[in-house]
Amino acid sequence: MNFRKFLIAQSILIAASSVAFPFYLLLIKNVGDSYSQFGWAYGLFTLTAALAYPLIGRLGDKFGDKKMLLIYTLGMAAVMLLIPLLYEVWQVYLVQIVMGLLGAIQKNTEKAFLARHNNSETAGKQIGKYHLHVSLWSGIVIILTGYLIDFLTIASLFYLISFVYIIASFVIMKRETV
Amino acid sequence: MKKKIILISILYGIGLAFSLWLYHHKPIMMEDYGQLLPTKIKEVQGAKSEAALQNWVKDSIENGEKISVAGMQHSQGGQTYYPNGIVIDMKNYDKILDYNPEEKTITVQSGATWEEIQKKINPDHLALQVMQSQNIFTIGGSISVNAHGRDIRYGSLIDTVESFRLLTPKGDIINVSRVENSTLFPLVIGGYGLFGIILDVTLHLTDDELYQIRSRSIDYEDYPYYFIHEVQQNEEIRMHIARLSVAPETLLREMYVTDYELAANQKNLANNAELKRDTLAAPQKFMLGLSRYSDWGKNLLWDLQNKLYVGQSGNYISRNNAMRGDSKFMEYENPNKTEILQEYFVPIDEFTSYLDDLREVLEKEELNLLNITVRYVNKDEEAVLSYAKEEMFALVLLINQGKSKKEIEKTEKVLQKMIDVTLKHDGSYYLPYYSYPTQAQMDEAYPRNKEFFEQKKKFDPNEVFMNLFYKEYSQ
Repeated sequence: MNFRKFLIAQSILIAASSVAFPFYLLLIKNVGDSYSQFGWAYGLFTLTAALAYPLIGRLGDKFGDKKMLLIYTLGMAAVMLLIPLLYEVWQVYLVQIVMGLLGAIQKNTEKAFLARHNNSETAGKQIGKYHLHVSLWSGIVIILTGYLIDFLTIASLFYLISFVYIIASFVIMKRETV
Repeated sequence: MKKKIILISILYGIGLAFSLWLYHHKPIMMEDYGQLLPTKIKEVQGAKSEAALQNWVKDSIENGEKISVAGMQHSQGGQTYYPNGIVIDMKNYDKILDYNPEEKTITVQSGATWEEIQKKINPDHLALQVMQSQNIFTIGGSISVNAHGRDIRYGSLIDTVESFRLLTPKGDIINVSRVENSTLFPLVIGGYGLFGIILDVTLHLTDDELYQIRSRSIDYEDYPYYFIHEVQQNEEIRMHIARLSVAPETLLREMYVTDYELAANQKNLANNAELKRDTLAAPQKFMLGLSRYSDWGKNLLWDLQNKLYVGQSGNYISRNNAMRGDSKFMEYENPNKTEILQEYFVPIDEFTSYLDDLREVLEKEELNLLNITVRYVNKDEEAVLSYAKEEMFALVLLINQGKSKKEIEKTEKVLQKMIDVTLKHDGSYYLPYYSYPTQAQMDEAYPRNKEFFEQKKKFDPNEVFMNLFYKEYSQ
């Protein structure tokens, strides 16, 4: 996977998750009926990720970053199809665990890829450039969603984001032109 | 590569279709402020126009659907929903349709809250005659429970209603007042949404007035005499509320009273008329939090409350402001527990002996009782389900309890004993709360309940308008 393709794929999927995040928070707040349940839902996500990182890192080395990102995008596309269906707390907890795993895959792969593809002298500059692109797209998309949400229900937003993850997976799979 | 993309697309398509299908069939859970009756319903429809409401009712008749009508859903016995039924949410049906300051009347759509009316009429120095102590409720909801409040001169809410329009279980829209379709008037008011949808209501208003607050501590044995001779017979006192101690050291003995007396100089009203905003309420919330967890907290809260409220004595307050009490500090979020209300009515001359008997129950049983306020209700038997069979004191009890089946049963056992004591003293209880009372207790407290349910069946033979309260007590 070359850097350009990685950048495009990351821009799409990070934008998608940034858009989903605030609405997802709203949803899990509504499903649970207390802040302690909210705390649990969020804590499960982070704890699962924490425990999974060492294994995910090793798997990434073995199978390559491309496969890992593909698992992430397809997994997230599937999870986004589940989110509109949640109505009980245990379901939220379950989804949080899955998302914790997937999130860990994305974060670890992102960093591993950046480490593999930058030489150490210009790594700061390169990663700075990478973050500029990725954040810029997220920012633009989040602002646009603010307008879009008036025309969409929250459920349909999750379906839309699921579709965007599928697009991202196609970008990752696309044959590389050197 | 192409093959992979096609495979993923097909799998995704199937997943998407399945998800959409499930989403369409996802049950909607509904619960009211009591949080003890989560129930699967079919859908919630937000009321927007009269025509849409009428269509929904007609469609429901055709399709055999059940309808419940909801405002703020502070009733705690499932009065606003029914299994697999449609809930009509009236909150956005809230326009002020007509306002006549000279004649002191206002006509509002039933989803409007007291707060919205207060904002409209306050600049003209007008006020409501009767409402609850908080202004967060909708007019339609308040009428459906025939609410009462701190006012001691105007009776129950029913007395202040001139007329209303009703969308009937047949889908017709009719006027209801004491002269037009008059049999329905005392059925719909205090009718818990079982006779149709109240569309809009015309209410009588009164003048906003400036009151001086008079607060003092009193022993429960002196209270009835005090009330009759110093409150009721003093025409200048317009509103009144009292509090009973729930602190173990002074349980149901110590009280403090707050009277709202017409201020000598009404010219100062203008300076005090601006509507109060919600306060932060953090200290009250903290104190209430302490008292939830310990007897120590309850004793401390009682002492502090006593000082706080008695300390307000001498202050001035407008009628409108006296009718918009804080409710924020009572908001309570806990996954396993909830806070419920009970309201018991007892004749004035039974008050002291009633409290002695009630104390006996409370000292024996385990109940996390947080607060008791005492109000006065005039005798008022206009509503078929009237709670004021004579001049009575109304005790509103705030109780903290668990949500589990076991906890509900535990509370039920204690509350049924308390209701028995209430009935023994010729008392009654209020119906908007959880179905703790037995059918026998309901029959005794509301001797006309058979008539009420018969009329309901006559007026709504297909039982289009349904709720859990009706399901529980109409059999």
